[in-house]
Amino acid sequence: MIVCVAVVGHQNNPLYLQSFTEADDALKLHHIVHCSLDVIDERVNNPKKTGPTLNETFLGLLYPTENYKVYGYLTNTKVKFIMVTTDLDVRDVDVRNFFRRFHSAYVDAVSNPFHVPGKKITSNTFAQSVRAIVKSFGSSTAV
Amino acid sequence: MGREVAESCVDSVVIEMVSAYCSRLYSTHPEIAARRIEAIGFQVGHQLSERYTMERPRFSDHLEAIKFICKDFWSELFKKQVDNLKTNHRGTFVLQDNRFRWLTRVSYDPTPANSDVSPASDPSQVVDKAAQATSMHLYFPCGIIRGALTNLGIPCAVSADISNLPACSFVVRIKV
Repeated sequence: MIVCVAVVGHQNNPLYLQSFTEADDALKLHHIVHCSLDVIDERVNNPKKTGPTLNETFLGLLYPTENYKVYGYLTNTKVKFIMVTTDLDVRDVDVRNFFRRFHSAYVDAVSNPFHVPGKKITSNTFAQSVRAIVKSFGSSTAV
Repeated sequence: MGREVAESCVDSVVIEMVSAYCSRLYSTHPEIAARRIEAIGFQVGHQLSERYTMERPRFSDHLEAIKFICKDFWSELFKKQVDNLKTNHRGTFVLQDNRFRWLTRVSYDPTPANSDVSPASDPSQVVDKAAQATSMHLYFPCGIIRGALTNLGIPCAVSADISNLPACSFVVRIKV
């Protein structure tokens, strides 16, 4: 189950941050997202010299904590997507698929002429499609 | 799911936008009109670059990003690639399109029949005026290029040069 997703702008400014838990642990999740920004910076500035993964948008598992796994994705426009999940057995292809759908939802949201670049995404449509994507991620791994 | 729009509609919108800004909204301040049109282009380029760079690896340097603009971005916009790319390897790039789509239907009217052209004006002045009107149409694509590159993390200034229609070259100067 995905417990938190975040979109972070190129100056590390939060554009969208949403947790999907009943419990009152939003702050903890936000802290995890915050920490993962450093990991992303590290990955990007010291890339491993291994052919195909070089400069790929999908950054893979950023770091595992006791209860969570954190995955990252960096677009060409230096926007970071971060996803926190409680699933311990996650298939890479599922995460890639999730980020691809998340990215296209994001692109649709910022293509709105009323969206101001660099400001928080307040679109309801975006929130809804994110919720749908997050929900379908849980079901596809359960099968 | 891509949705498409007729090319003639895009042409009309661009032409109408330029004429609205130049002759109605800011008829006395052409430089403000130019800046406004460029700003619209900037936003369009900003948004398009986000969409068209999906599913591709990140660019490692400026040249790769410029090549992306010349090839994939241009193909998406104008169904052709830029014909020639020159660079001085110090941050200036010249993108030349031998048949720039938005200029293919631009022509000069050599007869000074328009009321705003005084009867005494000589042909060179008319051509001058026409060139000025044409250059107004180029602020929008300049803004698109600048918006796309800025969104890719390359702040730059873009200007256009029309020496022989319908060829057109865009000069990109990267700010350091």
